[in-house]
Amino acid sequence: MKKSLWSFGTREVVFAAIGAALYGVLSYATNMLQIPGAGNVAIRPAVAIPMFFGVAFGPIVGFISGILGNIIGDLLSGYGFWPWWDLANGLMGFFPGLIYLGIKNFKDTSDILKAEGMVIVGVLVGIGVAAISELWVSGVDFATTVSMNFIPSVTTNLVNGLILVPILMVAYSAIQARSGR
Amino acid sequence: MIANFGYRPHQSILEKIDPRARWIFAFCMLFSIVLFWDLRILSVFFVITLIQFFVSKVTWQETKRAWIFILVLSSIMIFINTIITGVETVGGTIRGGTPLFSLKIPLFETFYVLTVERLWFALTQYLRIISIASLFIILPFTMDPRLYGVTFKGLGFPDKLAYTMDLAFRFIPTIARDFNVTLDAQRARGFEIDKGKMNIFQRIRRMAPLMVPVTMNSILAGEDIANAMDLRCFGLKKRSWIENLHFKTGDFVLIGFSILILVVSLYLRFGLNLGDFWMPGMS
Repeated sequence: MKKSLWSFGTREVVFAAIGAALYGVLSYATNMLQIPGAGNVAIRPAVAIPMFFGVAFGPIVGFISGILGNIIGDLLSGYGFWPWWDLANGLMGFFPGLIYLGIKNFKDTSDILKAEGMVIVGVLVGIGVAAISELWVSGVDFATTVSMNFIPSVTTNLVNGLILVPILMVAYSAIQARSGR
Repeated sequence: MIANFGYRPHQSILEKIDPRARWIFAFCMLFSIVLFWDLRILSVFFVITLIQFFVSKVTWQETKRAWIFILVLSSIMIFINTIITGVETVGGTIRGGTPLFSLKIPLFETFYVLTVERLWFALTQYLRIISIASLFIILPFTMDPRLYGVTFKGLGFPDKLAYTMDLAFRFIPTIARDFNVTLDAQRARGFEIDKGKMNIFQRIRRMAPLMVPVTMNSILAGEDIANAMDLRCFGLKKRSWIENLHFKTGDFVLIGFSILILVVSLYLRFGLNLGDFWMPGMS
């Protein structure tokens, strides 16, 4: 079956829902496990899920996994709704998804590097949008949003994404062979 | 781990209102609040959000975690923004001002001056953030998660997108159970999340034995679900929903009130040019 970057059929509906539920539950679970030694910066390894779902199933799946997963994670943790941060998470899944058609072999180093590149773009744009929204919503100045929102979030999300997305890609290559997709 | 939502019925008036009307209200309020820096106007919004909070019958105990999170975060942000950096957002409006406290910075041969205007600006920021927080914090505690899909469908979202939301909420218990089983299985093999001294990279990498099996199992299950849905011709016709929402008079009143707030706010801001930073003694 020919792949399309913007299709949203049954398969995309299911994987967007699974991606969102996984991101939400794993965010909540790793929150409960309290990874120590990280100071006051929240480390959410689960942020790699929307990035990986973007790479594996396309930008729309990545976007919905990120935006809806973040909403679910916040709902489970009781943090309320923060639409501009939900959007940031959506974008972190969307941009890696743009490389979806370019990934031929999930184990291949060059394909993994392509995905890593898009993870970096996704994190920079996604967190950038949220940080700029803070200028508008909270009324903080540029220096504050850069030091308080942009740098800590970009650093933790990049570290999580760059470490875990390749691991998930290699694991997925075995699944892909098994399912014949 | 039990993954459950903060929602439980509170028998409040708020829960009787159609969730679509409540979302419209929340977004009209959000877009109105962010238009203003005038403490007097923001106080009106704050009172409205406070009324909503008390009418919801949500307890402090339920929302404590969210409040602590937002209060700590906003306090740090406002402290850095107001006290340490330059408060550039409202620019010239509060440059200079009445000095309250000054401190000589030895290395740079300059003075740090805390002005009354900066403190008023900090107070305005607090009121603005707390008003937005009160709007959104109570939503998960007062809105039934089973209604999210049909709510967003009713707000004009495409069928497939609304169904994705519905499906995601249905997957949560299964994924939470899978996570528990995986965690127990890995622990039985001697896996520890926090094993002695590890740097941050090692800590993140240690999450892989938990994340990979749960994710891959879910993907395999997803292939079967997608096949089953295709066999049942998913997406060929308009979907029907188990729960149906119907607007009542009260819902129309709330929607009308929300639109009125937004229209008045836009007129005040752009028609009358009101709503810039204000403090007592300022014209």
